[in-house]
Amino acid sequence: MEEPPLREEEEEEDRDEGGPEGALGKSPSQLTAEDVYDISYMMGRELMALGSDPRVTQLQFKIVRILEMLEALVNEGSLEAEELRMERDSLRKEVQALRTGDPPASGEVNLGPDKMVVDLTDPNRPRFTLQELRDVLQERNKLKAQLLVVQEELQCYKSGLIPPREDPGGRREKGALVDRTSNASSNKEEKTIIKKLFFFRSGKQT
Amino acid sequence: MAKKTYDLLFKLLLIGDSGVGKTCVLFRFSDDAFNTTFISTIGIDFKIKTVELQGKKIKLQIWDTAGQERFHTITTSYYRGAMGIMLVYDITNGKSFENISKWLRNIDEHANEDVERMLLGNKCDMDDKRVVPKGKGEQIAREHGIRFFETSAKANINIEKAFLTLAEDILRKTPVKEPNSENVDISSGGGVTGWKSKCC
Repeated sequence: MEEPPLREEEEEEDRDEGGPEGALGKSPSQLTAEDVYDISYMMGRELMALGSDPRVTQLQFKIVRILEMLEALVNEGSLEAEELRMERDSLRKEVQALRTGDPPASGEVNLGPDKMVVDLTDPNRPRFTLQELRDVLQERNKLKAQLLVVQEELQCYKSGLIPPREDPGGRREKGALVDRTSNASSNKEEKTIIKKLFFFRSGKQT
Repeated sequence: MAKKTYDLLFKLLLIGDSGVGKTCVLFRFSDDAFNTTFISTIGIDFKIKTVELQGKKIKLQIWDTAGQERFHTITTSYYRGAMGIMLVYDITNGKSFENISKWLRNIDEHANEDVERMLLGNKCDMDDKRVVPKGKGEQIAREHGIRFFETSAKANINIEKAFLTLAEDILRKTPVKEPNSENVDISSGGGVTGWKSKCC
């Protein structure tokens, strides 16, 4: 898997050595077009040294053809290697992403069209059902209504409209009657609202 | 003092898009106040206000609904008990006006058949940002045979008038009952009832 960087290093070394000979010492899988040209140059010089024998010329022709084939193979191979390297790199990245960000990625894949992702670490995430909200609102509004009734009732006592021990049944009419007459006594009654409420309650129960 | 009895209980309902000012309209009417901070209503809330019409003390229980879509299943269940429904839009928000037909359909679907309806174009103090002409509001109200007011909760324009008119319209078709003939339980879904007090 670590071949590409190695090859690049060797290439550099070869060039530093000015290396036609170095090219021949290479592993075939690491051979580049440059190496093939180096080899061609070297062989050309050696053939030239052999003189102009027709057999040498014939051999030279075949060697050139073989070198051309080698060049084509090397080019093809390096192109393929480049493609594979790119593919490998992108696959590595993908694996990395899957390993680190696995849960949300796979979660989204499984989601239907009407689903929602909830961040369980969000303190403000939705937690309660519609029915729960409905119940709470209903209770709130019921209590609010009761509170208003109680407040109204309290006002009546405060204003002295209802005498403390009034019989619950006929309170409204009598309350209206005593409205004006009981104003004078309302001041002292003011202090014992709670007491009156308790009187009222016990009166109601009996 | 002496606001301790009432003859009739009317249940009203405010509906309309989120942010048109339903809560502010109600707050102006019930508390004669206005608040600029926008707090979205959660589900459903109500306020109480007692008014006097034609010599009768009428307790208005006004339900304020959340305009947001996500609360609709909760809010629509409150249509049934309403005797009057105020449909509110925002004259500076064209979408809220377009949605009126949707809200009217909701009324048809979920409210009593004889419910008294009213259309309000709120925020009429913001004339520089107006996108819905008054005529368009009047026209759609005419088409559906309902009353129409342009209101401003902020500037206190037509708020009380709208509520009193709606209450009057309901009162007009309310059969005359012997007062003090029934108990009132404002937390239940009943209709018009007389008042025989547990207290006053």
